[in-house]
Amino acid sequence: MTSKFKGSRLAGLAAGLLLSASFVGTAMAQDVTLSFLVDNTDASTVTVAQALADAFMAKNADIAIELETRPGGGEGDNIVKTRLATGEMADVFLYNAGSLFQAINPQQNLMPLTAEPFEANVIDTFQKTVTAGGDVFGVPFATAMGGGVMYNKKIYADLGLSVPKTWDEFMANNEKIKAAGKVAVIQSFADTWTSQLFVLGDFYNVITAEPDFADKYTNNQAKYATDAAAIKGFERQEAVFKGGYLNEDFAAAKFDDAIRMLATGEGAHYPMLSFAAGSVVSNYPENQADVGFFALPGDDAAKNGLTAWMPSSLYIPKTTEHADQAKAFLAFVASTEGCDVQTKAVGVTGPYLIKDCTLPADVPAVVADLLPYFQRDGGTAPALEFLSPIKGPALEQITVEVGSGIRSAADGAALYDEDVKKQAQQLGIAGW
Amino acid sequence: MNYLRRNWIGILAILVSTIVFLVPFAFIVLTALKDKRQSSLREFSLPNGFHLWDNLVEVIQTRNYMVLTAFVNSAILTVASVTLLVIFAAMVGFVLQRKPSAWTGLVNFLVLAGLIIPPAVVPTIWVLQGLGLFKTLHGLIFIEVAYGLSFCVLLFKAFVATIPRELDEATIIDGASPLRLFFEIVLPLLRPVVITVILVQSVAIFNDFTNPLYYLPGTKNVTVQLTLYNFQSQYNTSYNLLFTNILLITIPPLIVFLFFNRQIVAGMTAGAVKG
Repeated sequence: MTSKFKGSRLAGLAAGLLLSASFVGTAMAQDVTLSFLVDNTDASTVTVAQALADAFMAKNADIAIELETRPGGGEGDNIVKTRLATGEMADVFLYNAGSLFQAINPQQNLMPLTAEPFEANVIDTFQKTVTAGGDVFGVPFATAMGGGVMYNKKIYADLGLSVPKTWDEFMANNEKIKAAGKVAVIQSFADTWTSQLFVLGDFYNVITAEPDFADKYTNNQAKYATDAAAIKGFERQEAVFKGGYLNEDFAAAKFDDAIRMLATGEGAHYPMLSFAAGSVVSNYPENQADVGFFALPGDDAAKNGLTAWMPSSLYIPKTTEHADQAKAFLAFVASTEGCDVQTKAVGVTGPYLIKDCTLPADVPAVVADLLPYFQRDGGTAPALEFLSPIKGPALEQITVEVGSGIRSAADGAALYDEDVKKQAQQLGIAGW
Repeated sequence: MNYLRRNWIGILAILVSTIVFLVPFAFIVLTALKDKRQSSLREFSLPNGFHLWDNLVEVIQTRNYMVLTAFVNSAILTVASVTLLVIFAAMVGFVLQRKPSAWTGLVNFLVLAGLIIPPAVVPTIWVLQGLGLFKTLHGLIFIEVAYGLSFCVLLFKAFVATIPRELDEATIIDGASPLRLFFEIVLPLLRPVVITVILVQSVAIFNDFTNPLYYLPGTKNVTVQLTLYNFQSQYNTSYNLLFTNILLITIPPLIVFLFFNRQIVAGMTAGAVKG
């Protein structure tokens, strides 16, 4: 060991320490910097958030907005909860409405916005999903979605089929598509979350049959296994498997595979949320006109309607030091100007939940099929997760089992009731 | 033929390791060459065109050149953490092994506790906030040092035992101070284990995902592993960009390893002979 070698090692150590010490955060030049935490659940979220921030900064020179992203799914829930618990939440953040919103303890952590004038612009159905203890806490970000069936219009045209209004018509269509040698129903159980649509998307039919189902369900009075309307979602998923309508690789296919099959006409139906239109547009632009959308059909053609998913919401944590600026940003998002910025950034993905927002005339085929449901009175009902704080976390595993014929519909529904019970007890809801 | 029969286990091992290590790497490279549509098929196939350059440009430009910031942060994090780890762990290991005292039992217990008790996120953040270190890179450096220290202390302690005590005594008789004894005599002799610690901890810290995710929030503070989330999400993943990003952040450690390969091996064998 020469002394030269030693010297260089000590120098390296010193340099390392110096570098780390000099890397303390630098101050911003602008008057106020708002941090804005968004998830990256689908590709357009960050784009929309950036567009809104840029437009807002152009109008307010003294406020800068810094975008920060976090993962979605379970990891994202942990981050949001950790940062709220430690008081380190960004000044404005994006998170789900409905049952997940109830789980972050809004009355303790979030700033109530009930008295803010911009809340008057928000449509009532959305406000209900971000209300806790009589106070409103959020402003809608992006557009509402529908849960139903995406279908290939070319196959429908070739086989002379029409959009089904009842479950029997849907199954009859499946039979014809299968006879023609195509995949009737695409499933992609490698991404387990995609398996839940038959159950969750059927909620419009449940609530039209039993208008008070959501309350009874929250109060431990209605069960999936014993309720005649609610169990149908599970039964229908089983019927589709038993009919042999699924793609051969349903257990191994992923969401991207399903989109490919649907767009290129290998398969006819894919039960999915309407945001998937974005994946079709970005991966198969030449096929985007071939993909349409209809609500999951029920028993009665006269009572056909759509289960709607509310978009995520923007919240302000109580710990923010820039409450006024954060509120100004939310006011901008909840204005028609905010809607126009979003449309310009990613095109139309669905209807906005801000009053007086307009949509351009040319919209993608899926959205064009989606809008009539929203324009008709009573044409949509929010999904159960927006009406009740309880959603069992294991539903996606159970629907994979039912959808692959491993478990019967009755068994799956009973197992889901158990799962719901655990969640309700964990949330401390009365009557469980 | 005879050669084959005698060495079939070795040949089999080479074949297996080729499959286990090179095939995934080939998959990364192939996917990074594809465009978005072909990559979404996730097949082990040749790309239908050369898209690496486009992917590379897009990955680097994403979110205002976030990858470059991330590289600087990760480099500082790794170098500083590993440097501190080596110095502190070697010092503690040396003293623990050479100077038994009333404290030895307690210190040994604490070192073991560091290995056994899992750290919790929220209390750690609370401590960092109290010290004013939360959301700073040096705060995260201390976290990494704290989490890695126990393991390294044990390694050093075991290795110091193999250095003859007579060396220390001779140095002290010649008039060296304790610090000089440590830095000029003991630390150079610890070279093999220092290299082991540097290797193991650099890989662990450079690849660390959860600690930066929780302890270092903020766009300015990203590390390389966190940039993967720019392209991967619950509903929508750009596999071509994701794998280009993986390729990009796998290469620096690989280059470092190739460069220092000779020194690493030399260090290990030198240590083995000297004891």
